[in-house]
Order: sequence, then C-alpha cells, then structure tokens
Amino acid sequence: MSSSIILEGKNLKKTYELGRAKVQVLLNASLQVMQGEWVTILGSSGSGKSTILHLLGGLDRPDVDGGDVLFHGESVWTRSNKQINHYRNTQIGFVFQFYHLLPELTVLENTVLPAMIGSHSTSTSSAKDKATSLLEQFGLGHRLQHRPRELSGGERQRAAIARALVNEPSILLADEPTGNLDEETGNEILDVLAQLHQDGLTVVLVTHNVEIAAMGNRSVHLRHGAIEQPATLAQ
Amino acid sequence: MYQTLLTSRYLTSRVIPLIAVGAVALCVALVIVIVSVMSGFLNMVQSSGRTLMGDVIITYGISGIPHYEQLIQHLEKDEKVLAASPVVDGWGLLRMPYPDSEAKQSETVQVWGIDPSSFAKVTSFDESFQWETPTDNQRDWLLFDAITANKELLRSNMNDEEWNSLVEIISNASRTMNYESGSLWSDVQAILDVPLWNTVLGSDERLTNSDALLEQGLTLSQNGRDGIVSGLHVSEGNVRQKDGTYQVIRNDFWWLPRYEGTLTMLPVDSQGGIIEPESTILPFVNEFQSGVFMIDESRVFVPIRVSQQLLHLDEAEIIDEDDPTVVLGIDPARATSIIIRGSEDISAESLQSRIVQMYDAFIAQLPSDTIVFPPMRNDPGLSIHTWEEQQRSFTGPIEKERELMRTLFSIVYLVVAALILSIFWSIVFEKTRDIGILRSIGASRGSIVWIFLQYSLVVGVIGSGLGLFFGWLITKNINAIHSGMGNPPLSVAIGAFVITGCIAIYTIMKSREGQLLPVVLGSLGLITSGGLGALILFIRHIGGLVVWDASVYYFAIIPNEVDWPSSIVTVLGAILFCLLGAIIPAAKAADTDPVKALRHE
Repeated sequence: MSSSIILEGKNLKKTYELGRAKVQVLLNASLQVMQGEWVTILGSSGSGKSTILHLLGGLDRPDVDGGDVLFHGESVWTRSNKQINHYRNTQIGFVFQFYHLLPELTVLENTVLPAMIGSHSTSTSSAKDKATSLLEQFGLGHRLQHRPRELSGGERQRAAIARALVNEPSILLADEPTGNLDEETGNEILDVLAQLHQDGLTVVLVTHNVEIAAMGNRSVHLRHGAIEQPATLAQ
Repeated sequence: MYQTLLTSRYLTSRVIPLIAVGAVALCVALVIVIVSVMSGFLNMVQSSGRTLMGDVIITYGISGIPHYEQLIQHLEKDEKVLAASPVVDGWGLLRMPYPDSEAKQSETVQVWGIDPSSFAKVTSFDESFQWETPTDNQRDWLLFDAITANKELLRSNMNDEEWNSLVEIISNASRTMNYESGSLWSDVQAILDVPLWNTVLGSDERLTNSDALLEQGLTLSQNGRDGIVSGLHVSEGNVRQKDGTYQVIRNDFWWLPRYEGTLTMLPVDSQGGIIEPESTILPFVNEFQSGVFMIDESRVFVPIRVSQQLLHLDEAEIIDEDDPTVVLGIDPARATSIIIRGSEDISAESLQSRIVQMYDAFIAQLPSDTIVFPPMRNDPGLSIHTWEEQQRSFTGPIEKERELMRTLFSIVYLVVAALILSIFWSIVFEKTRDIGILRSIGASRGSIVWIFLQYSLVVGVIGSGLGLFFGWLITKNINAIHSGMGNPPLSVAIGAFVITGCIAIYTIMKSREGQLLPVVLGSLGLITSGGLGALILFIRHIGGLVVWDASVYYFAIIPNEVDWPSSIVTVLGAILFCLLGAIIPAAKAADTDPVKALRHE
C-alpha cells in the first residue's frame, strides 16, 4: 500500500435549503484517503455520509468558504466545469445504493457509457471490450444485452460497479452499495469490492452498518456534521 | 456518440415522442395542404388571366394610340416578340335576348374590340370557346329558328297539308323543347322535300357544318356580319353545375348563339365630354370561358373596327376649323391597348424593358411631318405594364388572402413549439434521475442540452418529413378525396359498423373484467367508428356533400399542385420551432442539480 494521500476533504461545510429552512449537513468535516486504502464512513441516516461522498466525487460543491477537496494535492473545486466533469469521468467511480442504471440501455451499454462520454481518449470498440471483460469478470457475461429491469438486484449492482470501473478510476466511491440488497447478495457485492481493493483500488464506502465497516482498512464516524475520529492511517 | 444512442433509445422506447412526431406531422401537413391549395388557386387565376392578356400591355386610356398598326409591325421585328395585337376597349351596355317580354335586360360589359387572328396569337383566345359544335338539342333550336326565319319561303313552296303539318310540328316543339329534347330534325326532314330542306339548312351554316360555330367565334363574324363573343357568365342563361359543367336554362332555349344583342357604347370627345351613344346589333357567335370569373362575367369581344366605330376611334378626316371644306389630313384609327406575347425564353419584366425601348425608338423614327403622334412615354396616361401588373386588381386580393392564411396558419408553428415544450417538459421531468446519473459519470451540461435538442431535432425532422409526405399525398389526391367525401362508398360505412360491433364486444368484455382504461378507449372507438358510419349514411341520404362547389370557386377542380417553396419553409419552420420548444426543457435539464436529480423518484 502506498502511503501518499490521494484524496482529501478539508474543512468541508455544506448547507442545504429545505424550503425556508437552512440545514447545515456538514459543519467542518475533514478526511484524508490514502492511495490503495479502503475507508469506511459510518454514520446514521441524515448524518451527511452521502453528502461528503458527493463533495469528494465532484458531484456537489461545498458552501462558499466551505473548504475544499484535494485530489493528489490539487484543488478539485477551483477547476473549470470541464475539468470537474473530466475528474468525475476518469478519476472517480460512483456506486449508488439504487444502482442508477439507465433503464433504456442494455447492461453493456450502461457499462460502456462513461467510456463513451470521455471517448476522446478511448475508442468505442476497445471500451466495449473492456466493459464486456468487466461484466464477464462479475458473472454477467450472459446478461450483456439485457435491460436493467430484467436483472436481479445483485446483478444490477454488479453492473453498476462494472460501469464505475470501465474508465479505470483512481477511487471508487460507494454509497450504501448493499443497502438495497438482501444479506447474501450484499455479501457478494462486498466480496467484489474487497477483491477490487485487494487489486489496489482505493475505496471510500459509506454505510451505517458496523460489520461492513470492519471490512475496510479503517473507518471514521460522521456525527454532527464532522468526522469524529481524527483521520489517521490505520494498520 | 452516447447522445445519439440515448436519443434513439428515448425515441423508440416511449409513446410520447411518437405522439409528438404525429402532432408535428399533422401540423405540417395541414399548412402544406392549405397553402398549396391557396397558391394553386392563385396560380390558376393568374395563368387563366394571362392567357387573355399576353405578357406586356401598352395602354393609352380613352383617346387611344394612333399608328398602332405600324407600331405593331415595329414591335414584331424584335426576335423576342412572338406577336402583338391591338385592342380597343371600353364599357358598354349589351341588350340581352331575355326575358321573354319586350323589356329586355341589359348587361354592363367591358367591350374588347380585337383583331381575332393576331389576338389568338397573343392569347389563348382560340382555346377558350365554350361551344365547339352544337349538340343535337342546340341544332334543333337552330333548325327551329331557321324555319321561323324562312316561314314565308316555306309557306309559298308547300301545300296546305304539308304546311299544316309543319305548323303543328313547330307549335308542338315550341311548347315542349323548353323542357325536353325532341325529334324536330327528323320530323321536319320527313315533310320537307329535298330542295326545300336544303334551303332551310342553307340559311344557317351551323346546321350543316359542325365546325361553323367555332369558325364564327374565331373570326367574330357570321354570314358576313360582325359578331360578338361574350364571356360565359355575361348571360344569365348559363348555369354552372356542381361538377363544373354548364347547362343552358330551359333546355338550351337561352343558348346565346341563337340570338343577337344590341351593343351600345359611349364615345367621348378629345376633351373627355360624352358624345351621343352609338349602338349596333350583333349576332352572338360564341361564348368564351377564361377561368377568371370577373372576366367571364363582364367581357365581350367584337371586331376591332366595331368598337372603333362605336367609340369614334376609327380613321377620320381632320377638318380645318376655319374652313370646313378643307381637309388638313387624316386622323388615323386608334387602339386603346396593344397586347404583346414574348417568346418562351424571356420573362415578362425583360420583355417590358425591351418594349419600352422599342416604343421610344418607334416614336423617334416617325416622320417629322406626322400630324398625329402617339403619346410620349412621359405622358401619364400611357402605361407599359406586364400582365401581372395589369391584373393586380384581380390577383391582389387573392394574394392577400393567401398571405393572410399563411400568417394565420403560422400560428401552427406556435402550436408545434408549445406541444414540444410540454412534451419535453414532461420527458425532462421523467428523465431527471437519468440526468443525475449522466452527470455523476462525467457528462457535461452542454452534452445534456444536446441530448434533448437532438431528441427534438429528430422529432422535428421525422415529423416534418412525414408531414411533407402526407401534405404532398393529400394535395395530389385532393380531388379524389373530395369526391370520396362527397359520395362516400357504402362499403366504408359497412366496414365502420363492423368495426363498431367488434369494439362493442371488446368493450363489454373488458367492462366485465372491471378495467376502466379499455372501456374508455373502447367507448371512444365506438363513438368514432359508429359516428363515421352514421355520417356516411347521412351524406349518402342527402345525395352527397360538395365542399368545393365549382359554381362558387370558378374552377371545376381543386388546385392540386404542391407549393414546394412554401412547403420547404413550413418544414424548416416546424423543425426550428421544435428546437425552440425543446430548448427551455433542455436548459432546465442541464441546470438540474445532479445530487437532487439522483434522489428524484
């Protein structure tokens, strides 16, 4: 495992407006993620776990003067929109609780989609080969031309992981990836993630399940809008 | 590109875009059919008018153009001038043969004195005659007239028995021929001996020569007398039928070539004052139809010398005012207009420019001792116009109507835009989570906009393309559709009722299953197909429906040429408004917060 910091959230603040009320979800959350590390963010519902993942992944912007996200030491949120899109497309792989596959596309098309979005660097045919290879690796070789609605929950989540990996990102951000699955299927997904981590992928996983948190290198608690335990290297 | 993939999947996996395509196609087809019919109507009016006007017209109001024959010779030297013909026109009163009483009706007519042979070269005068050969019934009427005209001769050459038989035949014919065709020809031939029969026939060339009617129209003369050809709607005896043909009322009794008319015109002096009216009696030799109602209802043609005499525009001596016995010279005959036909390879506007130059050259070459000069070009009374300019008063209102229709139907574009806006608004709402997913995997805002713009572009192009196709199909077959609507076949009604029965059974079955949607759809189908069947039976019951009544619209057929320039503009406009309708939802989609979008249910 490399000891360099790949991703860092510094003093992150995020406020949402719910009607007239303003809700401060993150008050001052800081987190460092090392290259090749599996960090689990634990927290109860509404504690801001998903929000911090969105900020780290360049999907949501912190408040003004609400801290910054650094990728390899460089600020993410001071980049242009085009650079942030590129960051999401190439460096980050998102896996969501509800899979979020596009219902009109086949499993293969869903998987290859990030490569097509950033197609200036990858040809479509090689991206398809890569996607097919990933899907076969995850046991979905026979499901390539199926629509997401024709798949089970576990198969959909594996397809979503394949999609997240097709551009070979630096970090996988998983938001309650087993939250919508039964225990057995959830374990299968966790096995997949564990294997990916073992292969060197940096994983940041959000969950409220302490048992899942135990699978990572270290876990941190998000409480009252801040990371309670100091972000220290584990093991 | 992934946008193309998504667009194609969105298009093929939902019903909404198909509805949008159908709606755009319907709007485009509607505009194309309406504008094409209006444009076709205008073109038919214009081309019909042109056939009676030539390409360029030189006009000099009331006092006319002297030396017009030389001017015509001068113009015809130009290779681009096919023919030129003089016209003496003015308004007159034409005493008609009807009604039966002594108080005959007079029509106000626009009299065109023409030289028939050159006039036919400039216009399609020779193709515009309504009567080419008399029908058997019309020939019987001509025979009836010939016997009446020769009754003295016949009486003196027939014995009492024969004469009484003839009188009885003629008396019966005068009572019955107003209502039904008879056998006058064979009845009379049976009792007249050959020489007498030939004498009767010889009194009217039209009885023996089937081409005489047309020839008399072409020469504006009958048995050496000057004749008159009148527009088909000048006479109230001609009644247009729903199928566009004409019937002469009272079974050809008021067929105009049987009669003479008294033409009265008002000549004016050089100061514009009115001189004593001049009248002449002329036989009607034929009738013409130009296709333009305003011409057909008022114009009559007479030989040019007749109108020159009636308007005092014929050749006259110029008398010394101080000594009336001294003749100073000859005031040449005049023509109020000269109409000119150009060759096919020159536009009316180009020909007009050449005519202007030739007119100036003609005046310049006249001998200096010429007593009466044609009007100079700076004379405000002189005009040299193209046929379009000349008949703008006819076509102007129709053009304005077309533009009005085009403007009104442009509202359809707004309908298209509103339709696309609402459909895409709902699509963007429905696809909000997809937008969030795409943003989470790196899609830019611009690419999100492009997905929906491309989507609307495809809807616009396919919808407009289909609209163009259906517009073309409907316009091309509009007369068949019209006649089908007018006389719908019984088989269609039966088919509609069979479908109604099937839908009724289906609806009843579904209603027992407690499903509401199939019942609603079935009920709508029942109303539509049952209503269609009932409507067809009703139309058949009332003897057919005529929407485009030829007796109202002047033309027997509905114009069925597609106005391609307008159609292309319509198609492009519909595509543009599809894009405009989609741009607001597309921008909304791009502005969607990806995190909120991902939480969208």
